[in-house]
Amino acid sequence: MQDWMSCLYAFFGCGAFCFIFEMRRWRFILTAAGIGLMAQVSYLLLSEFSTVSQLLLATIVTATLAEIFARVLKTPATVFLIVGIIPLVPGGGLYYTMESLVNGDMQMFTQYGMETVASAGAIAVGSSLVSAVTRIIAVRRAAQRQRRQRELEEQEQQE
Amino acid sequence: MEERVDFTRSSPPEQIINFSCEMGRQLLQNGAEIYRVEDSLQRLLAAYGYAKAEIFAIPFCIILTIQEGDHNYTKSVRIQTVANNLRRLNELNALCRDLCRETPPIGESWWRLKQILKEPVYPPVVGYCAHGMVASFFTLFWGGTWVDALLAFPCGLLVKLVVTAMRRAKINVFFTDMLACMVLALGPEILRSLGCPIQADRIIIGTIMLLVPGVAITNGMRDVLVGDFLTAMTRFAEVLIVSLSIAVGVAAAITVTRFFLGGLL
Repeated sequence: MQDWMSCLYAFFGCGAFCFIFEMRRWRFILTAAGIGLMAQVSYLLLSEFSTVSQLLLATIVTATLAEIFARVLKTPATVFLIVGIIPLVPGGGLYYTMESLVNGDMQMFTQYGMETVASAGAIAVGSSLVSAVTRIIAVRRAAQRQRRQRELEEQEQQE
Repeated sequence: MEERVDFTRSSPPEQIINFSCEMGRQLLQNGAEIYRVEDSLQRLLAAYGYAKAEIFAIPFCIILTIQEGDHNYTKSVRIQTVANNLRRLNELNALCRDLCRETPPIGESWWRLKQILKEPVYPPVVGYCAHGMVASFFTLFWGGTWVDALLAFPCGLLVKLVVTAMRRAKINVFFTDMLACMVLALGPEILRSLGCPIQADRIIIGTIMLLVPGVAITNGMRDVLVGDFLTAMTRFAEVLIVSLSIAVGVAAAITVTRFFLGGLL
């Protein structure tokens, strides 16, 4: 239960972040917060996997949602991605790494440190993967549209 | 040079280049990726009849060159402050698309750009409250109790206070984040050392989320993809430096508290 409550907290936390980033329209704020919520939901649903692949897959889900809603609401995808990805950022890892360093526990320090770096890497790979796929689709669509237009023009000329 | 668009030539190239530079500056300041800035300016200039514009942008600078006949016009802008106003980014993006489609006279474009810049931003109170709320909710998110969340609220306010003050004094990101982190971590750590039943780690993690360089991570990754490695390196360095400053700030706070209060227990 505690786990699922965290999704709700992610929603409100991301919603508050929207105000820091000066977003004004409610439609945008709710979408961004909802994407934050979905990030945490997908993270929890994927808990069977190891931490890094869990984060990777959750990032892919989040980034995909951000791209889709960016198309729907006609805005740059970064607007939603900047806010929506925040629940996945390994803030806890960063803190525990430093705490174990202060405690002089080098074994825990390396363990937490490696985990944090790997998590950050997973988020990076996930978001750029989605961005790459969208780019490929966008380029293809543009090419298709151009081809169709040319065909139409040719038909008109023939007629 | 192609001489295909004549009606737009009523605006001299100086005006077009000035407008494009300001547009680029605003896009970059408000959190656009580098490829978006370059792409938008390329389209904008193409729409105004300069298909062969050369645009170079990095996170701190834009250099723009257009050619008319044998004349070259170059302008560079240096970007020093970052506002990250996502609403403005959205509207600038939309404006840029409209301008490419309609190509109104440059005076009207200026007017529309200024109209966007004139729209009010949130009063400081909203910013402070938002910082407090983010800290509280992310404390709960990382497994804190309601008491921890209540304590995180003033920590969030402190972060905003420190960041605003340091930015006004033009102190660099590293020291700003380090100091903000130290200040935010001191309170919970002292309370914990005094024996209060709170989870200091959860409060600190929740509040740290405010300082995480989200824009740099997200936009840096999207720029790597386009092959803009120069920007990617800059962003990566930014992420590294900010994370390091957060870590150092937290470590300093923990060490200081244990040094002075550790003996009490």
